[in-house]
Amino acid sequence: MTEPHWQDLIALDALEPDDVTAVALGRHRLAVYDGTAGISVSEARCTHAGADLCDGYFDGKAIECPLHQALFDCVSGRALAAPAVKPLKMYQSRVRDGRIEVLLPK
Amino acid sequence: MSHLVRTPITQALEEGALTRRELKAFMSRSDGPALIRLAGWLIVLSMTTFAIWASLGTGWVIPAMFVHGVVLVHHFSLQHECCHYTAFKTRWANDVAGNICGLIIMLPNRFFRYEHCDHHTHTQIHGKDTEIIEMPQSYKEYWLYLSSYPYWKAKFSELWRHFKGHLTPADKRFVPREEYSTIIWEARLMVAFYLIVFALSVYFQTFAALWYWLIPVVMGEPVMRAIRMTEHVGRPTVADMKTNTRSNRVGPVWRFLCWNMNYHAEHHYAASVPFHALPALSKKLDGYIYTEPDGYLGAHKDMLGQIKHTSP
Ligand code: FES
Repeated sequence: MTEPHWQDLIALDALEPDDVTAVALGRHRLAVYDGTAGISVSEARCTHAGADLCDGYFDGKAIECPLHQALFDCVSGRALAAPAVKPLKMYQSRVRDGRIEVLLPK
Repeated sequence: MSHLVRTPITQALEEGALTRRELKAFMSRSDGPALIRLAGWLIVLSMTTFAIWASLGTGWVIPAMFVHGVVLVHHFSLQHECCHYTAFKTRWANDVAGNICGLIIMLPNRFFRYEHCDHHTHTQIHGKDTEIIEMPQSYKEYWLYLSSYPYWKAKFSELWRHFKGHLTPADKRFVPREEYSTIIWEARLMVAFYLIVFALSVYFQTFAALWYWLIPVVMGEPVMRAIRMTEHVGRPTVADMKTNTRSNRVGPVWRFLCWNMNYHAEHHYAASVPFHALPALSKKLDGYIYTEPDGYLGAHKDMLGQIKHTSP
């Protein structure tokens, strides 16, 4: 695995406004959040039993898993509610020329 | 790519049964509908409580306690909604309401939440679905289940086991290690609550808890067992949500009591959709899921028909 580096992810205006958008990048399936605190990016896989968080309910701050309603903070990745106990893997992101980039290994 | 579990809602989205935007609108939360329904709930409870009080000492007390019991056991429906955090927008309000309901019907809220998660993961899969109600193979099994005896036996032994600090390997399959002590202390607090009620009843020399709560719950539970059976029993024991779950068309009184959980297949498809949005989701998924047009009775006719064919 190579050192993390900035990779192009998706155009800002291609995101579901005020919602979560699923984006595949290499072996990763990522969840891109257009939240009240700005853009953030996490693994899309719920740390409880592996459901796709991109199908869950996003209220601008936290993502709720569609399968068992665990809750994760979309900025820190912290598991806020059972049944999840492990935090969500978050990735650093930035916006360059209207596109979202993410820092992760190739 | 990290392995994602293909949930029913992912499948429904992929198959175009609904769009992400429609789903998001269905999932949006509000405290209002639950507060309105709770106000109605309290009025109904007051009326059924009054009916018992007014009929004490007459033969009418039996039907009055039964009707009151049917309402009481439907606290399960609210608790179920709360365990999905879809009754109220305010998350802690779901915990408060869920725990109160759990005390009324003796269903530990936290433990139920974990157990119910597993039911959503492994719906109708033998040996994995923690809440599976096996299809009765004879009329005797059918009536025995409806009597609620097996249900109460299982619930009492579960509570006692957790009270003593013991979780079975089956419990440990779905309760995270970090939560073992929560489950044990939840059972202990519940037992302490029941002992306090008992002590107060003795102290004040009153049978109120029996007449207005415990006996009605026992009388009403067979109705809840009958309703719970309609959700999956008799449907194929396969992982396909299109066939393994039954929605039931029922009248407004039942829908009120069960917090729209008659839309059961819709609920399994999208467990983050609150009770008040299930009728609209049902219209959207019409034809995509399995619905029993004749409601609870139709579902039981189906089960009895299957027993007739398999019973020796
Ligand atoms: S898979 Fe996400 S809470 Fe269980």
